[in-house]
Amino acid sequence: MNPGWDFHAIAPEIIISATIIVVLIADFFFQYRRRFQTSQLATIGVLAAMVPVVTLAVNGGTRQMFGGAFVVDPYSLALTGFFLAAAYVTLLLSVDYIGDGDYYQGEFYVLLLTSLLGMMVMTSARDLITIFVALETISIPTFVLAGWRKHDPKSNEAAIKYYLIGVLSSAIMLYGMSLVFGLTGSTLLRDIALAAPRTPHTSLLIVAVFLTLVGFAFKVSAVPFHFWVPDTYEGAPTPVTAFLSVSSKAGGFVAMLSIVFFGFFAVPDTWQPALWVLAAASMVLGNLAALRQTNIVRMLAYSSIAQGGFILVPFAVAADGHAARSSFEAVVIYLLIYGAMNLGAFAVVIAFARRTRSAEISTYGGLGSYAPSFAVLMTVFLLSLAGLPPLAGWFAKFVMFRSVLDAGTPGATVLGVIAAVMSVVAFFYYLRVVREMWFHPVPDSVNPEPVQIPLALNAAIGICAAIVLIVGIYPQVFARIGELAAGG
Amino acid sequence: MILAADPLFKNGVDGEVVLIVIGKTLVVFALLLVLVLLYIWFMRKVIADMQNRIGPATAGPFGVLQTLADGIKLFFKEQSIPDQADSFVFKLAPYLSALPAFLAFAIVPIGGEVSIAGHQTYLQLADPEIGVLLLLAMSGIGLYGVMLAGWSSGSKYPLLGSVRASAQLISYEAAFSLAIVGVLLWSGTLSTRGIVNGQAWTGWDSFATQWYWAPASIAFVIFIIAAIAETNHPPFDLVEAEQELVGGFHTEYTGIRFGIFFLAEFMNLITMSAIAVTLFLGGPSGPSLGFLPASGTVNAWIMPCFWFFLKLVILLYGTVWIRASLPRLRYDQLMDLGWKWLIELAFLWAMVTGIIIIAKQQDWDLLLVVPAAALGALAVLGFLRLCMPKPGEFMDEVY
Amino acid sequence: MAEFVIFFIMAAVALGAAISMVLARNPVHAALLLVTVLVAIAVMFLLQDAQLLAAVQIIVYAGAIVILFLFVIMLLGVDKSESLHDPVRSQRPAAIVLGVVGLAELLFLVGHHWATGTSSGPGLNDGSGGNVERVARSLFTSYLWPFEVTAILLVVAVVGGVVLARRSGLPPQQELELERDDDDTEPDAMTESTSEVSAP
Repeated sequence: MNPGWDFHAIAPEIIISATIIVVLIADFFFQYRRRFQTSQLATIGVLAAMVPVVTLAVNGGTRQMFGGAFVVDPYSLALTGFFLAAAYVTLLLSVDYIGDGDYYQGEFYVLLLTSLLGMMVMTSARDLITIFVALETISIPTFVLAGWRKHDPKSNEAAIKYYLIGVLSSAIMLYGMSLVFGLTGSTLLRDIALAAPRTPHTSLLIVAVFLTLVGFAFKVSAVPFHFWVPDTYEGAPTPVTAFLSVSSKAGGFVAMLSIVFFGFFAVPDTWQPALWVLAAASMVLGNLAALRQTNIVRMLAYSSIAQGGFILVPFAVAADGHAARSSFEAVVIYLLIYGAMNLGAFAVVIAFARRTRSAEISTYGGLGSYAPSFAVLMTVFLLSLAGLPPLAGWFAKFVMFRSVLDAGTPGATVLGVIAAVMSVVAFFYYLRVVREMWFHPVPDSVNPEPVQIPLALNAAIGICAAIVLIVGIYPQVFARIGELAAGG
Repeated sequence: MILAADPLFKNGVDGEVVLIVIGKTLVVFALLLVLVLLYIWFMRKVIADMQNRIGPATAGPFGVLQTLADGIKLFFKEQSIPDQADSFVFKLAPYLSALPAFLAFAIVPIGGEVSIAGHQTYLQLADPEIGVLLLLAMSGIGLYGVMLAGWSSGSKYPLLGSVRASAQLISYEAAFSLAIVGVLLWSGTLSTRGIVNGQAWTGWDSFATQWYWAPASIAFVIFIIAAIAETNHPPFDLVEAEQELVGGFHTEYTGIRFGIFFLAEFMNLITMSAIAVTLFLGGPSGPSLGFLPASGTVNAWIMPCFWFFLKLVILLYGTVWIRASLPRLRYDQLMDLGWKWLIELAFLWAMVTGIIIIAKQQDWDLLLVVPAAALGALAVLGFLRLCMPKPGEFMDEVY
Repeated sequence: MAEFVIFFIMAAVALGAAISMVLARNPVHAALLLVTVLVAIAVMFLLQDAQLLAAVQIIVYAGAIVILFLFVIMLLGVDKSESLHDPVRSQRPAAIVLGVVGLAELLFLVGHHWATGTSSGPGLNDGSGGNVERVARSLFTSYLWPFEVTAILLVVAVVGGVVLARRSGLPPQQELELERDDDDTEPDAMTESTSEVSAP
């Protein structure tokens, strides 16, 4: 009964696990002043883990382990690569932020890497138990990270809210999963896909799938399961917020992709209506609430709820018409692009906060006059989030609408119209920040003296900006990745 | 079901079988009570000897009935409930602490396979498949008795005593379970009957080759220390440290309720010793009388029981000896010992044992593997020592 | 038959204890009732021949987790009136209505097919050997991967707990200065409340 290890296939996970242990132990031995070196170790580990991802991609093909519970295919590799890159950028964002305050602790990187490990496990998980464990591995470290600034009551509140709601959603999801197991007799998505259409208890199956999806809806902060998002995003340290809004959220979407496409695709009645409502509600409420925010982090929080709604649109239409393939592609591509532009926006917010210690939108006044390069970059990221060509965001919106057109049913059309209207609404709040930066005077509270921006932060912003611009002008790069992922 | 491993249930359950089970239950319960009475007398006598006193001498021959007299006295004393107490929980707590001690004794094999009224059966109350896990579960439940007794008294010394107790018990539970793992790796089964069968007597060398105390020697030492701590026996009796806590968690208890706590404590001690005999010293296994038939009454009934009780008495004598000679530990010493030494050692020992077992299965060269594994374990231990702050040093001062 | 009787007794015990747990005004009583629920469920596991699960249920939940609950309740002295104070009273009827709607919806969707009536597929009990052996086999073959990931998760959960419990990342000396600097931070809740002994 040898489980049959394929060490090449799990090499990225092994490297990250080893890095976790090394960073944890190294922290004991480094002198206090030199402890920032743990961040370098973490970075080396993340970069090293990309090597086997590349070699696996070059080798091609599909690798399976544990009777199909663990699968490495182009889809999982593409997303593993995305998570590694996002974690790398997050590390760049955190190095100086975590080093500066009174809350430096080497465990930050351990927790970040563990969450990353959970995401990597998630990409290749094809089994309910593995998906659950992966989701917990993503979430539990982030509960702690959200409460990192222990002297700040807001950070405490962020952690408590996130923790309570996260645990509650896990419980609901587990209940759903146990019902799924009871109905289908297996935890493997492959077996579930075979057994689900044949079960006589269709109504119970609806309950089971719905409860399972509710757990992920919390994770991807879809309305009406979004209550924790603004407070948690505002209270958590900003690099952590960036991580939550990109990686952790994408982790939830990956789980949804696996469950919906590999598990329950043959029984669309069980998930499509629920996801339709979630998508519509997230787009409407996220975008309208973002209009009224005065704090940029809160605005980005609501914007990320809205973007989550856009990503849910392809899910909701996946089983209609011939949208299966294009909607799968759309989710993957949207996630990749969303990651780059959202991380970039947060990176600029962090850099700006080094100068003003503030995240109010009003303090961005006149940024264009005294720090034009930052103002340009921020404009790029915000306009990309809004979906303006030739920035990457337009391509994300494009593939999303393409899946709606492929579906072609009335329900899909209505959802498409909502998405279109809400994309227009989104312009208002993104452009408000841009207007503040370019057309408003410098407020008195802000000192327009230039501030030294650390190299790591510059590098992070540079990477994100490069991706946003290159993909915007030459979208075939990501389109190819999406095609490969869906072809697998 | 839980009793299924016993040959008694092979041919289905009828009235006779039920009667046998009820009879066994009563006998085991009575046995445990008698053992407690005798142990208390034995302890007082031995300690008195060690301290050059006479000890109990009046009631019965050699004072052997002294404990019985004390028990009867406790029965007739007034039982008071403090004003601030939560009376329901206050009354419940003694039973919560006595019942698990008895239930855990149910899995101890006292003798071999015997025949009662034509039914083959084991001389033990129950042989569940989960075996020693039942012991761990029961020690978990037993904790509630102590905690709730302290809390429900509504007074501060009992509360402090019970908080100490729960912290101590939780801390040592880990080392205790890991020490058991050292045996389970060799036995390959959780069932106590299976563990005892694995230590069957095959000749005089069985003492060292069959019984698990030798291949699991460090686990044995850890088990003894952790078991003493789990039973709140001196030198780990911080739970009822009189100088600091008046009487610990049972300060407010009087009459027979106090008596039940006392009973539970000694029942736990005897159960733990019996489990140690089962896990490490072969349980009822020992040489039988060769000149009598192997399946006769003497060799089937008496000899296994004789060996079991002989080993039990030797271990119990050891506990008395420890009680008479060792001073109580300080609280930080107690925690250091549990968390920084016993748990690590037990872990490493389990790993080394696992390596040796694999090496045996794969036919590797044991002369190479065993020293390598031992060296590796020592290296890990040294490394962990290096990581740990020195005594009195904060974690954050390691710069 | 015996199985049936035991199931209904234990189901009644579990449900009764669960309801009283929610209604109990004293947190320690609630914790005790929670243990009762857990033990009743352990007995149900035994009925299903899941002996290992039953033992683990008692060892882990009753023997460790609820003990820690009790520990916290005792040390922090949770006050009866405090813990049950509901600042938004209007939520209560809304919660009841939502709960009833949810229950009705669930019952409707289940469509009278009680989940206990149907047997699932062969499940995991296909191999030979005892319950412990079968669980071990599936845990260390088909579910090895999540099992190993869980190991890392548990280690990191401990690390996270220590990080949150430790007072800050500063050396203790600087930490003290920091606390002296801003006296407006709330007094250390832990040390203050340990001195109060909770009276039941």
